[in-house]
Amino acid sequence: MKPTNEQLLDLHRWMVQGRMFELSICKLKGSYHPAVGEEAAVVGAFYDLRDEDVAAPHFRGSIIIPYLRGAPLRRLYAGIIGKDTNYNHGRWRGDICGPVELNVMGMYSGLLGSNMSLGIGAALAAKIKKKDTVAIVTFGDGTSNTGVCHESINMAAVLKLPVVFVCQNNQYAVSTPFSRGLACRSVADRAVGYGIPGVEVDGNDIVAVHLAVREAVTRARAGEGPTLIEALTYRVLGHWVADPANYRSNEEVEEWKKKDPIEHLEKDLIAKGILTQEKIEEMTIHMEKLIETEMKTAEEDPWPGDEHLGINDVFAPATIGGSDR
Amino acid sequence: MKRLTYQEACVEGIAEEMRRDESVFVLGNDIGAFGGALMSHKGLWQEFGDTGRIVETPISECAMVGACTGAAMQGMRPVVQIMFGEFLPAVTQPLVEAAVMWYYSAGKTRVPLVLRMLYGIGPHRGHEIDLHSWLTHIPGLKVVMPATPYDAKGLMKAAIRDNNPVAFFEHMNLYHGSRQEIPEADYTIPLGIADIKCAGKDVTVVAIAMMVPYALEAAEELSREGIEVEVIDLRTVAPLDVETILTSVRKTGRLVITHETWKTGGSGAEIAATVTERAFADLKAPIIRVAPPHIPIPYSEPLNKLYLPKKVEIIQGIREVLK
Repeated sequence: MKPTNEQLLDLHRWMVQGRMFELSICKLKGSYHPAVGEEAAVVGAFYDLRDEDVAAPHFRGSIIIPYLRGAPLRRLYAGIIGKDTNYNHGRWRGDICGPVELNVMGMYSGLLGSNMSLGIGAALAAKIKKKDTVAIVTFGDGTSNTGVCHESINMAAVLKLPVVFVCQNNQYAVSTPFSRGLACRSVADRAVGYGIPGVEVDGNDIVAVHLAVREAVTRARAGEGPTLIEALTYRVLGHWVADPANYRSNEEVEEWKKKDPIEHLEKDLIAKGILTQEKIEEMTIHMEKLIETEMKTAEEDPWPGDEHLGINDVFAPATIGGSDR
Repeated sequence: MKRLTYQEACVEGIAEEMRRDESVFVLGNDIGAFGGALMSHKGLWQEFGDTGRIVETPISECAMVGACTGAAMQGMRPVVQIMFGEFLPAVTQPLVEAAVMWYYSAGKTRVPLVLRMLYGIGPHRGHEIDLHSWLTHIPGLKVVMPATPYDAKGLMKAAIRDNNPVAFFEHMNLYHGSRQEIPEADYTIPLGIADIKCAGKDVTVVAIAMMVPYALEAAEELSREGIEVEVIDLRTVAPLDVETILTSVRKTGRLVITHETWKTGGSGAEIAATVTERAFADLKAPIIRVAPPHIPIPYSEPLNKLYLPKKVEIIQGIREVLK
């Protein structure tokens, strides 16, 4: 089933806002790892889920997911800077780890792939509790070569867990190109080895990504197990903001810029009369203003007080009895 | 009262918690009809096999612990076994992250997870390595190492009810050993509380797991010479029961620490440093650690016996601090 016009506009808006948000973060923090150019893969994977579905995104584009789920920009900026107003009082980096309050299972260290095992665990919990919630797990082509990635997908396949794996293949693991990370043709090809469906989609076509994910979500909710989707996209900027990216040619980058996912959808929507240039400008101006005020507020927000060092807050307190969640 | 082995006590603790709380489930390899490594899950499959709460997985220790962490974040209380403590290197990635989640989320998510591991030098002659000191270094992780069936059951139940990740070490030399009387009634033993297994006024011996019976043998032998040894069974290595240790050392003025892991960087070093910081004036002699040399565990039986200190070496240590 194709997305409605309203959904198409939603997808477009989230990509535009996501990119603007990330570009503003790039100015704020030179060590940030932006997903510019990969928005279709990011937004397409996490759009239109239920609140109780678990999002387990890897680092690149990760901050867009809590925004999608209703987090105010101010608190997310505060998570980048380390201000008190973020979700954890500055205890952990907000760029790679979204708040659990919004059912986001982010990265609790910089070691790649852990979110994949957390995501299948959330799916396992749903299965044991006989709930029809799902987990969406994303990872990069680089992470696809870690042990925990293989273990997680295989285990999810064997246990038929309600989880959707989306590989955000941006063709570079820092400076290592896909061809030097994998000897096989695609990440999705590996699905055969796991005995689950493997789906290749154009990762710069958000409608294609979203439809593939939606189909996989439907399968997962029906108890038919996981799907491995590979969204082929491209990391337009460096691994991090200040990366000189001297390991690839300008020609290659320029070629991929022509396939920009936002422009791709915009052209289509304008041609169909669903979207106008005026509406795009209106939305852009609104977002610019929002970014300016929210970022300024976050910058002026207080630093966490000494009490948030929490030397006596390492352990969760005891409760007698069972689960209280 | 009933009489249970250490292994039976561990399993009974889990079974009781599974009966009282539906969010408790077990996950591991070969834990179904097979009964788990060394019968570590004996009877659970027969009772809970059709509830979906016995989850048998492929051999994927890292994803097993990571998945249990994710399930715990969703309100479950997983008890995951990776068979042996020797396999701990495979799970450090998710385990270290599970440990920090409560702090990093500023109290928004807790991770009630029990990680069971068989380990210990004894009759099994394989999978012996004691890596517990790796874990005591990590903030947010509890480390439990029982020495008796009674403690094993009470600590297991407390670990399952605890809201933090708990590494639970089950010693293979104690596993199918002597039985102990266990009350019929429900009981737990709080984590972080040591137990004085033998009171004495002359020397304090802080012992962990298998070293507890060895220390008690040493105390018994020395009592014939009129030397009174106080044996503290740590039971939980993290969080450390510093107060019980300090109270004892302030009384005896002499401290021997013994564990099965290496002396170098072992948890005993932390205990020695803490006592030195907080009770230096009460010490009448330097602290002695009785622990294996800093070499990989040798395989051959005579070498293996030389490697691990037991009663004789603990007695030597005690005599040293009494000089």
